[in-house]
Amino acid sequence: MEILANLVNVALIVAMLRTTAPILLVALGGSFTTKAGIFNIGLEGQMLVGAFFAVLGSIWSGSALVGVACGVAAALVFALAFAVLVVSFRANEVVVGLALNILAGGMTISLMKAIFGTRGSIVGQGIVGLPKVQIPGAKALLGSWAPLISGYTPMVYVAFIAVPLLILFYKRSRLGLYIRVVGEKPEAAEALGISITRIRYTASLLCGLLAGLAGAHLSLGYITMFTENMSSGRGFMAVAILIFSNGDPWKVLVGCLLFGFADAFSLRLQTFGGFPSYLILAVPYLVALAALFALSYRGRPKIIRETAETMRRLLSADKNPA
Amino acid sequence: MSDRLRAFYGQAIAVLLALAIGAVIIVLVDESPVKVFMTLLRGAFGDQTKIAGTLLQTTPILICGVAACVGLRGGMFNVGIEGQLFLGGFAAALVGFALPLPPGLHMIVALIVAVLAGAAWVSIPAYFRTRYNTNEVVSTILSNYVAVLLTSYFTIFLFKRPGGWSETPPILPSAYLPELFSFSRLNWGLVVGLVLAVVVAWLFRHTARGYSASMVGSAPKFAEYGGIDVKRQGFIVLLASGAIGGLAGGVETLGVHHRFMEGFAPGFGFDGLIAALLANGSPIGTIFTALFFGALRSGSLLLEVDTNASREIITVIQALIILSVSAQVLMKRRGDSTAGERRWKF
Amino acid sequence: MSNAFSTTTADRPAENAVELVGITKRFGAFTANENVNLTVRRGEIHAIIGENGAGKTTLMNILFGLLQPDEGKIRIDGQDVVFGDPAAAISAGLGMVHQHFKLVPSLSVAENIFLGMEIVNNGLIDHAAQIEKTRELSERVGLKVDPTERVSLVSVGIEQRIEILKVLVRGARTIILDEPTAVLTPQESRELFQTLRRFVADGMTVIFISHHLEEVMEVSDTVTVLRNGKHVATRPTAELTKADLVRMMVGRDVSFDRRPREATHGKVVLDVRNLWARDERRLPALRDVSFTVRAGEIVGIAGVAGNGQTELAEVLAGLRPASHGEAFLNGRDLTRLSPAAIRKTGFAHVPGDRMIRGVDGGASISSNLLMGRQYRAPWSRGGLLDWKATDRDAEAMIKRFDIRARGPHDTVKRLSGGNIQKVVLAREFTNDADFLLIDQPTRGVDIGAQEAIHSEIMSQRAAGRAVLVISVQLDELLTLADRILVLFNGHLMGEVDGNEADDETIGMMMAGLQPGEKERELVS
Repeated sequence: MEILANLVNVALIVAMLRTTAPILLVALGGSFTTKAGIFNIGLEGQMLVGAFFAVLGSIWSGSALVGVACGVAAALVFALAFAVLVVSFRANEVVVGLALNILAGGMTISLMKAIFGTRGSIVGQGIVGLPKVQIPGAKALLGSWAPLISGYTPMVYVAFIAVPLLILFYKRSRLGLYIRVVGEKPEAAEALGISITRIRYTASLLCGLLAGLAGAHLSLGYITMFTENMSSGRGFMAVAILIFSNGDPWKVLVGCLLFGFADAFSLRLQTFGGFPSYLILAVPYLVALAALFALSYRGRPKIIRETAETMRRLLSADKNPA
Repeated sequence: MSDRLRAFYGQAIAVLLALAIGAVIIVLVDESPVKVFMTLLRGAFGDQTKIAGTLLQTTPILICGVAACVGLRGGMFNVGIEGQLFLGGFAAALVGFALPLPPGLHMIVALIVAVLAGAAWVSIPAYFRTRYNTNEVVSTILSNYVAVLLTSYFTIFLFKRPGGWSETPPILPSAYLPELFSFSRLNWGLVVGLVLAVVVAWLFRHTARGYSASMVGSAPKFAEYGGIDVKRQGFIVLLASGAIGGLAGGVETLGVHHRFMEGFAPGFGFDGLIAALLANGSPIGTIFTALFFGALRSGSLLLEVDTNASREIITVIQALIILSVSAQVLMKRRGDSTAGERRWKF
Repeated sequence: MSNAFSTTTADRPAENAVELVGITKRFGAFTANENVNLTVRRGEIHAIIGENGAGKTTLMNILFGLLQPDEGKIRIDGQDVVFGDPAAAISAGLGMVHQHFKLVPSLSVAENIFLGMEIVNNGLIDHAAQIEKTRELSERVGLKVDPTERVSLVSVGIEQRIEILKVLVRGARTIILDEPTAVLTPQESRELFQTLRRFVADGMTVIFISHHLEEVMEVSDTVTVLRNGKHVATRPTAELTKADLVRMMVGRDVSFDRRPREATHGKVVLDVRNLWARDERRLPALRDVSFTVRAGEIVGIAGVAGNGQTELAEVLAGLRPASHGEAFLNGRDLTRLSPAAIRKTGFAHVPGDRMIRGVDGGASISSNLLMGRQYRAPWSRGGLLDWKATDRDAEAMIKRFDIRARGPHDTVKRLSGGNIQKVVLAREFTNDADFLLIDQPTRGVDIGAQEAIHSEIMSQRAAGRAVLVISVQLDELLTLADRILVLFNGHLMGEVDGNEADDETIGMMMAGLQPGEKERELVS
């Protein structure tokens, strides 16, 4: 009995890590824009086009890797559009983000109809999924615990490796430092000759890169198919995580693991417990909402930026008396 | 006056630009833009049944659009209208089939309950927004997903029609919103929407409370200085917006479907928000933008029959319209660069 | 690069570190600097002094490449230069410490100092090296900081040290400090002066902007006085007295005539008792302020900007909490009421930041005039607005206050600054409030409108209102006020009768000195 319970625990953790990966990738992507002081509600759409074009690229080329590259390229195009409108045209970030999400939904369905003549989903059609990575020696080393580190699709590893890399990036690289400075104190960046526009574009594109990988993982990872709106709110949950984590990679990881756990646990409940599926499906969203509300009194970069904006207006009002 | 005219021209240019980009995309999916646009036009206004169909689609977009207008004018971004619509639709159905009442009264009670359900659903995000400044965009979006799943659960596990698929029992005829014509399901809901748009516009323009709310939306610091309770006003605005979202659901249930079912209202809440944005938060303007989007939706039904394009191409066009409207700031004079932010403040 | 003192005077011929020749800078119709000449010799501490709006900061921003002059030349070490941006000025050996610090709170001291010129090893920032170099520099120049501390946790005085170190590490030989002591305690100021003394002893040059006479006398070698954007004089400090400086700073040429008035002895309307308040940094900004304002009396609050005036106005208006004390208006304590309730006690307020608090720029004049009375007849009845009455009322106001606009539907932001201010005055002066709080009545307003606004304020006095005028323009208070109170560093320095007041006495108090005081003593 004990062994069985143990196995279930390992399986649960494995499931948690698997469900954590896509939201972790997209949330880490959003960490770039959050740190650069941009509220990016468009993650959802970037992820969705990433998933769709990954499938498309995989079918056309017969290679999962090319598929991933296509997905990333599509997400980058969306990220660039977001940056052009928000950074250069100074359009409202929420409006642009929402519109790009809607565009992503409509576009993927239209293209699906135009290319495959189907609605709903693309299954089969020669989609090549990402292979599972077996870590050599894992079995010998860990025995029944081996699934904890071995046998995931590549994006799971990418997601978890990205966390320490991002920590290093923000702490030790110039670009990472400048992204933080632009988000936290744009006047300081300006005074030192760091281009706010360039940094914000860079951050948006880095965000698109990871959101595209997240999308590719959705459609080429554990299941090799594309369905309408298959990102199903993960981008919005990521935004919720970003709001209370302030974009810090460690906190993002903790938040995403919470979601991964809620997801995996609710799936388990669904299978074994006989709980109504609709309520169980709502659990991740409820967790996101609860976390958002519970942690909402904490400081956010938004506030800092708004204060800075008010200060600037105050100063410019002083400078131009007429 | 010339300000308003310039704003109108700006919107018009943005719409044309979006249509042009849409045409390019249609060419890319291997269809003729002329054929697609003509089919849309025919599908929307081809004969009286089609016109009635367009108006039928316009109704929920209009009511949701007015809900969004209330939020935008009061400085609140209610992206949860979709969820409020689902809750309102379900609540109206519940009253409709489970609570027998005299005709007329039954309908009114059902609508009131729908309104209350919408308001109740938004009250939690509204509370946290006004009390702790929790971003209402994210909280209302996430609550949409919960609303859809929750109403599905109610429908399938608690109130399923015996023998039916994921839908509630039909509502009693005493709760029906009467139809306007014999040849269409077009009903008094449209009139409700039109009256609501006019009333909301009037409330903002001609009542002290409406003035206070719109001042909080356009200049919060000034409103605070002038003695308006900014937090309370914001809460009321979100609640009112959610209530109207609930009403939209009630009208859909009582006027069109006569029951609540899964996939009950595909994206009306978002269409309404887009219509309101395009109308720059004006309820009267939303009448026209909602009609525009209603026509697109209605026309798109014919699109899948007559062309190879999918009906979602209209979603693409709508999104492009909003993107090009949002970029308009560039067309204005530099000194006005905050105009875009001001108009869609949140 | 980090060796700040590698250049000694011996390497170079003795010459002027900085020369500004005929600098003119205009913002629209407003001339901030007019044909200003400035010569700063190497190795001196050169103070630039003048009232608010005298053009000191504009001049320094031009020198540092933040603004481009419309006319005039810049010479550094005798060479003609053009600075397109601060980077060019920095590479010419200039460094500027701004009045508002530009530090990133979440970064460490060392990270802030090396921001933009990080020490990179194998593509990664070498924090250890940055910390080491910061420590080294900090010890060498005697500015003690903890390189690993987060900036959000350090005091304002330390923040300033970090800004100075930032400038030094970039190899500056000439340091510009914009009102460096405005945010410092007297002890911190004294330490700063010692540091600056050491700098010039090492052959560097210091330019510092100030309007505190005391510290100028204490630390500078040479003083340049600016007034209304013009150069008044440049003299060795030793040849001057404080009285000379006050005379040069204030001048006589823009003085208004004092408005004639009849003495009144009304009842006390506003009674402020031991009021304390904090600023955004949670530091005390108002310290134990007590005063009264009577009906039919204008009380003026004088002081250099940032000495607690904004906080005083906001506390009275209910927009900022008081940390201690009371303010009674008609017997009710304002510090316990909401802005709405305060208005009901008979309070009208012309705010200092009029575009943010005073109006909704995008709305019409009518709509702006309606604020605060939307629930009252005749503007509304039973919750319904009467726009006809409101427009009629607005038209009457436009006429009475001489607002230059096309009509009541004109958008406020299209009006000039003076006319926008008149819209605010029109609304607040017609509320039948017993007490008027007027913060900067004529900031950014042209001379003609200033006269009109002053007349309106006088007629409010004649109508028996209690008026509190806060202004950084001393002339304005001398024109209007029956009594003038001087705020310095959150304290009330004293009170002067408006009929007997003179610039010099008040100027002394604005600088933190008691009138007639001989000792050099800063009040903390």
